[in-house]
Amino acid sequence: MTQTTPLLACRGLTKRFGPFTANAAVDLDLFAGRVHALLGENGAGKSTLMHMLSGRYRPDAGSILLQGQPVRFASPAQSLRRGIGMVHQRFLLVEPLTVAENLSLGLGRLVSAAEVRDLSQRFGVAVDPVRRVEDLSMGERQRVEILKLLARDAMVLILDEPASVLAPEEARELYALLRVLARDGRAVVFISHKLEEIGRSADEVTVLRRGRVVARGLAPASDLDPADLARLMTGGEPAPVDQSARPEPGEVVFAGTGLVGGDSRGMGFSGIDLTVRRGEIFAVVGVAGNGQEDLAAALGGVRPFAAGEITFLGQGLPAQRWGGHRRAVAYVPEDRHGRATAPDLDLTDNYLLTAACGAGFLPDFAEAGRRVRRALEAFRIAAPGPGARARQLSGGNLQKFILARELDREAPLLVAEQPTQGLDVAALAEIQAVLRRAASDRAVILFTGDPEEALALGSRVAVMYRGRLAGTLDPADPGALDRVGRLMAGLEAA
Amino acid sequence: MIRLVPRHDQGARHGPAARGGLWALALALVLALVSGAMAFSLLGADFLQAYAAMASGALGSAQARMDVLLKAGPLTLTGLAVALCCRLKHWNIGAEGQFVLGAVGAGLLGLRLLPDAGPWLLLPGCLLAGALFGALWAAVPALLRTRCGVNEILSTLLLNYVAIIFMEHLYFGPWRDPAGFGFPGTAELPAAAWLPLWPGTRLHLGLALALLCALLLWLAQERTRYGFQCRVLGQSPEAARYAGFRVDRITLVSFLFSGALAGLAGACEVLGAQHRLQDGLASGFGFDGIIVAFLARLHPLGVPAAALFLAVILVGGDQLQTALGLPGAVVRILEAALLFGVLAGDWLAGRRLVVGSREADHAG
Repeated sequence: MTQTTPLLACRGLTKRFGPFTANAAVDLDLFAGRVHALLGENGAGKSTLMHMLSGRYRPDAGSILLQGQPVRFASPAQSLRRGIGMVHQRFLLVEPLTVAENLSLGLGRLVSAAEVRDLSQRFGVAVDPVRRVEDLSMGERQRVEILKLLARDAMVLILDEPASVLAPEEARELYALLRVLARDGRAVVFISHKLEEIGRSADEVTVLRRGRVVARGLAPASDLDPADLARLMTGGEPAPVDQSARPEPGEVVFAGTGLVGGDSRGMGFSGIDLTVRRGEIFAVVGVAGNGQEDLAAALGGVRPFAAGEITFLGQGLPAQRWGGHRRAVAYVPEDRHGRATAPDLDLTDNYLLTAACGAGFLPDFAEAGRRVRRALEAFRIAAPGPGARARQLSGGNLQKFILARELDREAPLLVAEQPTQGLDVAALAEIQAVLRRAASDRAVILFTGDPEEALALGSRVAVMYRGRLAGTLDPADPGALDRVGRLMAGLEAA
Repeated sequence: MIRLVPRHDQGARHGPAARGGLWALALALVLALVSGAMAFSLLGADFLQAYAAMASGALGSAQARMDVLLKAGPLTLTGLAVALCCRLKHWNIGAEGQFVLGAVGAGLLGLRLLPDAGPWLLLPGCLLAGALFGALWAAVPALLRTRCGVNEILSTLLLNYVAIIFMEHLYFGPWRDPAGFGFPGTAELPAAAWLPLWPGTRLHLGLALALLCALLLWLAQERTRYGFQCRVLGQSPEAARYAGFRVDRITLVSFLFSGALAGLAGACEVLGAQHRLQDGLASGFGFDGIIVAFLARLHPLGVPAAALFLAVILVGGDQLQTALGLPGAVVRILEAALLFGVLAGDWLAGRRLVVGSREADHAG
């Protein structure tokens, strides 16, 4: 379908945050009937652009055109009234309420279950109005968010990394839905930094790099060579994945049998058996919300196990007492700001959180400062010095700092949870290299949501589904990626 | 168009509490002076005359300056007590009650348990008993908080009134001085329990103890593991749990220290100034400690200065009643203006003034 006037367009859109230019003179055309993909690395300015279109940020320069007419939005509510709706990466739903109740909140009036069923049928978005949001899968929640926008007659749908929380199967369903919604005359745009998502779903691709459009109108997407796209995104050759021979695994560091745990809020986990040896990376992969958050926190000694047996360096103990070994395990939690570090404290204080020199009655602040300085140098962390606050570091630099701190402890076991999430390609490659090095003389348990990362780094890969390990595979097996995908989606039993 | 937008600057080491710094403090003073002036004008007084009367009332005579120092001691201790918990983002509004219980503890030892002991035993004993009783009184809300999740703002506030009524019960009832002609109050404490005086003045050792406590607390916060853990817990409880800190224990210990400081203030007031439990002992030092703590921006070394400043206002304010015939409540108005000034100063110091239209937002 071709049209001369785009449904929504922007011309010369610019947004600065202090000295940092997030978007520089961006032009974008979104046509009715088309699915548009916005591709770029983290920090390329994709989210900023979408937030300007949806009214959350005000542009510093440039204009937004709705059906050819210039418009200004003071708030997301205003842009939604004009038919532009956004689905955020973190859903804006009230979890203890039902789907119908959440829709009522979104529409500002009481919506009956029957009406929700009508809407659901009219737009082809399958939701169950009487279920509580907290009981829904991520894909179902996403559909509720989409329905919320459709019920308010949104003609432009903006989705921020919609597939990042979905299993491969759910992602396929989502893209099919987006295509149907576009066919009905809407303009759909979604953000992604995953190349393979683009191929199967978009009519048109725009690539952003460092706030600028470096390629536009690439179509049809299926013709694009992923390597070309990667070059466009990064501006150079992607770092080759190091496939050098892995060291032979050594002694068993950690062996758990029948591990059970998790609090009432999360999915929890049960019946987990896992063994990790020195010199190997044991990768646990799963879609967010399948219990791996609880398992990682329990392995990290932050939350208790409810039951199970653990053998640690040959010593048996009941799993409930594992928390007492907090100092024997190095743990890199998913939440870099706020859990792994206190954002408003300086790097020295943050180093002392888990370091041995912080354990006595009088912590050795001078020694910690020296070690921070050494870590900044060894890991090439961009930070002014040990007095910098954690908040000032970028995601990649902060993650390197946390890894440096945890590796300094020389604990025999490292638990790393989503260590590369949200990092740009360069930082991601560095972190992965650090993890590989770390595994040479310790046991590493890596939690990740990315099957490719799990297969690239792991000596063995286990898939977590609904609180259980659904199967362990050898990454060298042919078809391993496909099988991991199917296990993650629960399409295949172990 | 003039608007205020958040400032994206880099703060000092200790986070938001220290961020605004002196600039917020100056703003607080200006705001307090202005709103005080409005209050005076509404009461029909000339505000310049009122401020002049306050200044001379607080600083004009040796007698008045001594009153200021005598008030600064307990205010320093209660200010430290409040500041200590605030750094954990816990709000101890109960310094008043802990102050009273500290006085009761000192009285219990001096009047009932060891009235005949020598000064080397009795004085330190009474001070310790005061600190201990204050700490135990603070342990109640702390345990309610860590064990049952009861909001400490409510429990500490309400326990103040329990403590005050309990003390009244003691000096109206079982501890009433039989030779006191029916006046509500206990007998005088034995002289062995009195705090030594600076020769020739009414100034007792309490102020020196308060300054020592400020110094020790500062060292504890800067140098010890306990202080470090408090810093982390106050900034990010999730990070504290991640690091394996025993969060509940740190909270409990902090409340105990906080109560001990307020209790020590109460004991010093009894042992140094009043020498008995009587009406007027619970005169609001605990509540004033809240203003002191925030004026000092929760910094232990700032607390004595803030306490001195507030003492000047309290003593000078009292003079307004006699000099200008203004109601006594005018002092409370000034205190409130000061606290609001600090809070508004904090808020304003985190922002910068932008002149121009909305489109210029963030530019440059």
